Amino acid sequence: MDQDRKKKDPIRVSNLDLKFRSEVMRHKDAAGLNACFSCGTCSAGCPISEVFPEYSPKKLAKMVKLGMKQDVLSSPFIWYCTTCHNCEQRCPQNVKFFNVLNVLKNMAAKKGYAASPWVEQTRQIMQTGLIFSVDEALTKKRKSLFLPALKSNGNKAKRLIKLAGLDKIKAKKKS
Amino acid sequence: MSRYALFLGCTTPTQVIQYELSSRWVCQHLGIELVDMDDFVCCGINQVNLSQEAGLLLAAMNLAYAEERGLDILTLCAACTGALAEAVERLKDQETRDRMNRKLQTIGLEYTGKTQVKHISRVLYEDVGIDKIKRKIKSDLSQLRVAPHYGCHYLKPESAFGGWDDPDNPKTLHQLISATGAFPVPYETLNLCCGGKSFPVSKDVAFFLVQKKLDNLTNKRIDSLVVQCQTCYLMYHDQQNVINEQFKKHYNIPVLLYPQLLGMALGGDLKNDLGLDLNAISLDNLLVKAGINRKI
Repeated sequence: MDQDRKKKDPIRVSNLDLKFRSEVMRHKDAAGLNACFSCGTCSAGCPISEVFPEYSPKKLAKMVKLGMKQDVLSSPFIWYCTTCHNCEQRCPQNVKFFNVLNVLKNMAAKKGYAASPWVEQTRQIMQTGLIFSVDEALTKKRKSLFLPALKSNGNKAKRLIKLAGLDKIKAKKKS
Repeated sequence: MSRYALFLGCTTPTQVIQYELSSRWVCQHLGIELVDMDDFVCCGINQVNLSQEAGLLLAAMNLAYAEERGLDILTLCAACTGALAEAVERLKDQETRDRMNRKLQTIGLEYTGKTQVKHISRVLYEDVGIDKIKRKIKSDLSQLRVAPHYGCHYLKPESAFGGWDDPDNPKTLHQLISATGAFPVPYETLNLCCGGKSFPVSKDVAFFLVQKKLDNLTNKRIDSLVVQCQTCYLMYHDQQNVINEQFKKHYNIPVLLYPQLLGMALGGDLKNDLGLDLNAISLDNLLVKAGINRKI
């Protein structure tokens, strides 16, 4: 979040994308966001908000509704999600904010804002089928413990990943 | 006898091998047959961050392989459990299932909704049962005080688990611990996330969460934290040392994976069956209290 703008400037209507709200809620996973009445229960239970008070799920929901597309999709905080599910577990309106956040991350990824660890993991899956490589030391260790060798099924995973277009997602360049 | 396709996931068979070892031993000991699968890949949980469709497709691929063999899936990792169970739920929708199957067809697969997913603790709880576990106990662990940690995806998203345990007030791991004779210590941050999924992106969030739980446990006189997910294990066990160095802390809390605790009670070999030698934080005090006067 741009700290200076936060202090000085109001939200400029000319910077808003009024279609963003419907663009997000068109996704089945985010349709429930309409029911949000901004009580903030999600934010009270969010570990990211506890560490970074400038982020909150409630605020993010408001920003989506206002059309602050650029601010939402470029926010680094949306990638910090621990996937604890507290937000949706505690929501009195049954908004699945965890799913809403995934919709936003998916949109951000397409715009080039993807967090690099998840892009790197995808690359690894295309090779071994797992998010880790399987080296000789590991193979030896498993053998010494009488555990079966790990078979690579990366090729088929790769085909599906390409079919889903996931291979085209690029990580955000470090600034 | 129960029979399951063993879903090892990515992290357990590469980083936390003692979880795999002890799970295999406990299952064999209690009559749960595990079928090794060559075809399984990553469950797709982290790929959901980039593309919900791609993540679901990877999950569906795994479900389809198990279904091809006529098996349900037994998971070790809580996150794999959540991802695959959520996929089962999403794939109940005909339109979603058809869309996924059109893609799966390209590698000769189809998922029709038959294969279900259960975490190893759920299999122990439901298929074996607390009473049978109690009858098989050989070592007296009644002097042990341990803190349960469930792992977020063991019971969440709630819609994927049909209410078999309550994610806000979970009981099953407590009961599984009690079945071994050990005492499950109550504590305030029981449901706190381990931060494992934010660790690759934000160490600030992850370390904050780990410390919050370890701080809470520091004065509870516990002999060990007991987890049922290898990512939770890595965060509380391996990262404990990193945090000690980085933040000048002095945490010294042993961490066990539940099948290791159960395996101790069932009389498993500490090293060969349960891999306790692979846990770096010393278990010496715990073993003395458990009446097991053997060095690992």
